[in-house]
Amino acid sequence: MTDEPLLSVEGLTTEFDTDNGVLTAVDGIDFEIPRGETVCLVGESGSGKTVASESITRIVPTPPGEVTGSVRFDGQEITSLSESELREIRGGRIAHVFQNPQDALNHCYTVGWQIVEAVQTHEPDTSEEEARERAIELLNDVGVANAAARLDDYPHEFSGGQKQRVMIAMALVTNPDLLIADEPTTALDVTVQAQILNLLEELQEEYSMSILFVTHDLGVVAQIADHVVVMYAGKVMERGTVEEIFDDPSHPYTRALLECLPGQARSAEGIPGTLPSPIDPPDGCRFAPRCDYAVEECTAGDQPPEEPLTDTHAVSCVHYQQGYDPSTVKTEFTQEDGTVTGGVSGD
Amino acid sequence: MGMEWYIVRRVAWAAIVTFIIVTITWGLMTAAPNPQVQQAVTQAAMDGENPAEAEERMEAQLQLDRPLHVRFMDYVVGVYTLEWGWSNTRNQPVTAALVSALYYTVQYSVPWTILTVLIGPIVGVYSAANQYSWRDHAATGVAFFGYAIPNFFFGIILLLIFGVQLEWIPIVYQTGVPVFSVQNVIQLTIPIFVLVTGSIGAIMRVSRNEAAEYANADFVKTAKAKGVSTYRIYARHVIRPTMVPLSTTMVGYLLAIFTGSSLLVEVVFGIPGLGRTLYDAVVAQDTNLVLGSTLFFTFVATIGNLLQDLVYTVLDPRISFEDR
Ligand code: SF4
Repeated sequence: MTDEPLLSVEGLTTEFDTDNGVLTAVDGIDFEIPRGETVCLVGESGSGKTVASESITRIVPTPPGEVTGSVRFDGQEITSLSESELREIRGGRIAHVFQNPQDALNHCYTVGWQIVEAVQTHEPDTSEEEARERAIELLNDVGVANAAARLDDYPHEFSGGQKQRVMIAMALVTNPDLLIADEPTTALDVTVQAQILNLLEELQEEYSMSILFVTHDLGVVAQIADHVVVMYAGKVMERGTVEEIFDDPSHPYTRALLECLPGQARSAEGIPGTLPSPIDPPDGCRFAPRCDYAVEECTAGDQPPEEPLTDTHAVSCVHYQQGYDPSTVKTEFTQEDGTVTGGVSGD
Repeated sequence: MGMEWYIVRRVAWAAIVTFIIVTITWGLMTAAPNPQVQQAVTQAAMDGENPAEAEERMEAQLQLDRPLHVRFMDYVVGVYTLEWGWSNTRNQPVTAALVSALYYTVQYSVPWTILTVLIGPIVGVYSAANQYSWRDHAATGVAFFGYAIPNFFFGIILLLIFGVQLEWIPIVYQTGVPVFSVQNVIQLTIPIFVLVTGSIGAIMRVSRNEAAEYANADFVKTAKAKGVSTYRIYARHVIRPTMVPLSTTMVGYLLAIFTGSSLLVEVVFGIPGLGRTLYDAVVAQDTNLVLGSTLFFTFVATIGNLLQDLVYTVLDPRISFEDR
């Protein structure tokens, strides 16, 4: 194993050609996923986090989408790969789990058929029986009770949580290095959510995978993340380790998100305003129209460059540039019960 | 349980439906004045005999003097034992007339159905896969053309071009040629082409729209993320769910064309098939043959609907049989 991150993304941009103009869903983002660790991509819906996660192996539809920038996976540039080379990576070394397990499995085929398809796509020589054996093992592994008997059941005969387990089993078929999980628990009941999160943490150990976890839920982030990348309107606002993000949140957007957590000052109303249009984004900082600390410089030029705070922590806000005072944005957090703190505890 | 029981019930229902239809036709036929009796009465009146006596004699001869329930039973037994009476114009049993007509109808219906069922969904799904490309637009254009132009009119035009002008095909259908011969293929090409263009448009549109919906489904994204090729995604993941609503549309639609357009096409091209037989029987007032052809079309429709429902249940595993 080397020190080189498993995945490093630079200037990743995803644009869609629409009738109303070019929609820039992801606007030149950088991030890295260290080996064996979990990186959370956080943001409101519409922030571009899902599109970013689906641009890595280019499963966003192209056209109308167009993905540019650099994605290095295990030392190899994968943006220049052909579609058939990418297919080997998809579901091979990089696997996906999606948000809505209700529709993520094809209702016309048994779950066994769909897992066997995943096996045989990547190992065409595997016989039907072997593939089924493997499917049973995997289903056992992800906690589907009575796996052998359930193999020939159709998706509608499974509960939402079980379907998500099936999806996870299907993702593990090839023992991937990276699992990209897009809001895998959002559509599930709270108790099931916790089970699936625990399962993912266990499997990460067992299969020594890295995980890119896409979510809007900071509670989930606190539970599973090693690193956090905060996205807003297609741009990265702040990045850091999970401790840095929760104990020393520095970007006004990150701080606003944290204030919306249960028990915090804004838990009831959320952040006022809405996301800017991805077709014609505002000049300067994308967050400026909703930011409490916006100054004149925030609305000119492009998104402020990322200012490093530590080796791992960086923030894109003018108040961290030379000649500004970061303490203007680092006001204290007021909790609902009136307690005042400098950060939000990670757990 | 479940599916088997459902199939049993569905078949039983189809049998009941045909019985109801048979009963209604019998009711209509019994209520209407019998042409043979009327003829005898008219004849008697003209010959100066007693019309009432002649009526009784004719009714006795035709066994119409028996009680209604006996006649009904007789009729029903006759229908199910394929004793459909005598065709006066053809001078042969109705069943024999129908069988010989069927022989010609099958020759173009089978290739027509196969071509429609194969080409329609494939072109539709292909269009969906290449949405808004020139190929999609071309397919849409062909679909609307076939849909909009009346079959018989299109048939006449083609007959004028290929039969009269170019003399590539015989103007009048040759009944003498063997079924599996080049001449037969040549003379059936145009009628089949007319029918296929007429039926394929709707099938293409339905399958294109359904497939386009499924092409954006989450499970298609899952398949793509698994590394499945685009071809396989369409051939397996998209076509299968598309066939569910399509099977419903398709059977009904083909049946409608079978009973409607096939008649026009047979008349235009002079094919002595079922549609032509029904047409001639109506014109010549051959009651038994009209009834026989109608019953035949009804049976085809009932069996078609039955098949459609069975296919539907096989294709979509989510259907619960308990509450149907
Ligand atoms: S750059 Fe300006 S608008 Fe953007 S977050 Fe910082 S203070 Fe707010």
